[in-house]
Amino acid sequence: MSEIISRMKDLPSAHLLGAGTPMCSGCGGLEALHQIYDVLGENTVFVNAAGCMTLLSVYPFTPFRGSWLYTAMASAPAGAQGVRDALDLLIQQGRLPPEEDLQVVVLTGDGSAYGMGMSATSGAMDRGLDFIYICYDNEGYGNTGQQYSSATPHGAATATSGGTGGFPGYKKDLFSIWAAHQPSYVATVIASEPLDLAKKIAKARDMSGPRMIIALSPCPTGWDYDPRESVAIGKLAVKTGVWPLKEYENGTVTHTRIPRERPAVEEYLKTQGRFSHLFRPQRNEALLTEIQQRVDRYWAQAQ
Amino acid sequence: MASRVLGTALFRSGFTVQDAPKYGAERRGAPIFSTVRAARGTAINERGVIHNPDLVVVADDTLLTVPAAGILQGLEQGAVVLVNSRESAETWQHRLNLDVQLVILPAAAEVEDRAELPHIGATCAGAAASLLGVIAPDVLAAAIGEELAGLGELVVEQNRRNALAAYRAVQDKKGLVREGKAVAAGDYTPPAWVELSVDDVGIAAPDVRAVANSVQVRTGLWRTLRPTIDYDHCVNCWWVCSSLCPDSAIRVENNTPIIDYDHCKGCMICVGVCPPHAIQGEPEYLAQQREAQSADTGAGDNNGTDTADG
Ligand SMILES: Cc1ncc(C[n+]2csc(CCOP(=O)(O)OP(=O)(O)O)c2C)c(N)n1
Ligand code: SF4
Ligand code: SF4
Ligand code: SF4
Ligand SMILES: [Mg+2]
Repeated sequence: MSEIISRMKDLPSAHLLGAGTPMCSGCGGLEALHQIYDVLGENTVFVNAAGCMTLLSVYPFTPFRGSWLYTAMASAPAGAQGVRDALDLLIQQGRLPPEEDLQVVVLTGDGSAYGMGMSATSGAMDRGLDFIYICYDNEGYGNTGQQYSSATPHGAATATSGGTGGFPGYKKDLFSIWAAHQPSYVATVIASEPLDLAKKIAKARDMSGPRMIIALSPCPTGWDYDPRESVAIGKLAVKTGVWPLKEYENGTVTHTRIPRERPAVEEYLKTQGRFSHLFRPQRNEALLTEIQQRVDRYWAQAQ
Repeated sequence: MASRVLGTALFRSGFTVQDAPKYGAERRGAPIFSTVRAARGTAINERGVIHNPDLVVVADDTLLTVPAAGILQGLEQGAVVLVNSRESAETWQHRLNLDVQLVILPAAAEVEDRAELPHIGATCAGAAASLLGVIAPDVLAAAIGEELAGLGELVVEQNRRNALAAYRAVQDKKGLVREGKAVAAGDYTPPAWVELSVDDVGIAAPDVRAVANSVQVRTGLWRTLRPTIDYDHCVNCWWVCSSLCPDSAIRVENNTPIIDYDHCKGCMICVGVCPPHAIQGEPEYLAQQREAQSADTGAGDNNGTDTADG
């Protein structure tokens, strides 16, 4: 389970997640999940809170090679605690050989991770639960028609934030909130950077305790762009500094990629219909400047 | 959307109407269908899908010949099939060999250009309204205004333009769809009762126990654009295309990427990320034409598709 991933060539060539899922064509969340699953391997059990990804296992079909459990939006970490305890007991009682132990993986959207599921997640980290949490962050309630969530970026239009200004709130800094609990590991990833993603997932896989991953997940349906652009948009999110790739370990935060020449954030915003009101019918200079300044401030503090 | 526009237009023309979309748990890109029932004056007591439609409208002709899509099910003699296609009515008549009246809607470019795709519903509704012969153009325009009001005037106008153009495009076939007889509850034949024996679950539902059995769902049906690898230019950096394909639809054999067309949804991500531009995207109908031709002539089509389908 500990092959070294240091170059693109080391990425897994066998793909474990079954094709034929009902996710949208070009789904950035599915792209991340398949890459993550390839690294974690099939000895995993997924605990999935309500969201787009719960459509993965619609009876009788599943893309997984192992068990999958469906929970309410707020309670996936509690479900993971139950599964972990059951596995531990079975091993303790000699009913499950230790080599057949499974990695318990929580899979939720941002609606759960940044909002409804926060308390259950906090509790799981407090208890040092041995699990991996994967949040695919499509910056809204995708499954129900992209209403805004606490992960929606400032200014984005969603089904519940229209008008000339878009979403009036600000994307919550979940990475810092999770890191403040001092779990074993916290990392941000994105599928358009598969090597950075695979290295972090391999690292998480080989640790124990709470290991927390946030994958920004470009969403053609909710963000309003052609499915072919998912990777280009993901790369722009990193290059413009909108999505910092970083990890937390032993009390320290490290950026795994520091974008040197950051193109203007509007290069990223322009690619998505959810920000089109910032450019048409006329440029919203004030809002564009504010968004850029927030990114600049982040990187000024990060270095 | 097409069914809502058509339903509202029929309602505004004095009909009793029922319209409903039908789709599964799939996300955007999956084939969907919707139905409209209309009756003069009387209440509609029938519910559910329409078993014997008088008119079938097909927005994406690549689905027509796929039995799993079930588009031609229940068509009776003389029913009208409106196909959005680049091909002629004769070609489809020959291919399908059904006793139906085929009408071509020449708006195939709208399905191939994904930026235009959002208007295809209005286009189909416009052509269908024309074939029904009971909806006036201004009523169609008003129905579009009513259904799309929330999307803003620009969107309404664009959809109106498309719908009215389609209305005119098939005007020579105006009223081709005949009104059926009213359905009485007394004539209803209940479906035959199928006796299922009780089997052990391992026999009755072996798929449920199989790993990754989602592969039995052929999401390749979703595709309107097809990626094809030109192996003469491929430099075997499989970690690029096969990692970035969201759907695990590019497998790797001997360092060679192979596209799984049973499942590729045609997102075109691989086309954009391939460093030497060795993956080409083309409309699915062209790829299917190419395959049909090479099957007819018996000549091999070695653009990678043969190997990839294996
Ligand atoms: C307590 C609760 N409220 C509302 C819902 C309805 N619901 C189902 S999925 C969903 C959206 C979830 O958003 P997110 O977690 O971001 O996942 P995504 O749909 O974006 O994948 C909502 C609101 C629910 N299942 N449970
Ligand atoms: S709505 Fe977005 S996150 Fe959900 S399946 Fe579609 S692309 Fe993926
Ligand atoms: S990315 Fe392009 S060149 Fe590289 S393996 Fe895939 S098809 Fe071949
Ligand atoms: S178009 Fe390419 S990336 Fe998209 S599903 Fe098909 S093979 Fe995968
Ligand atoms: Mg979400």
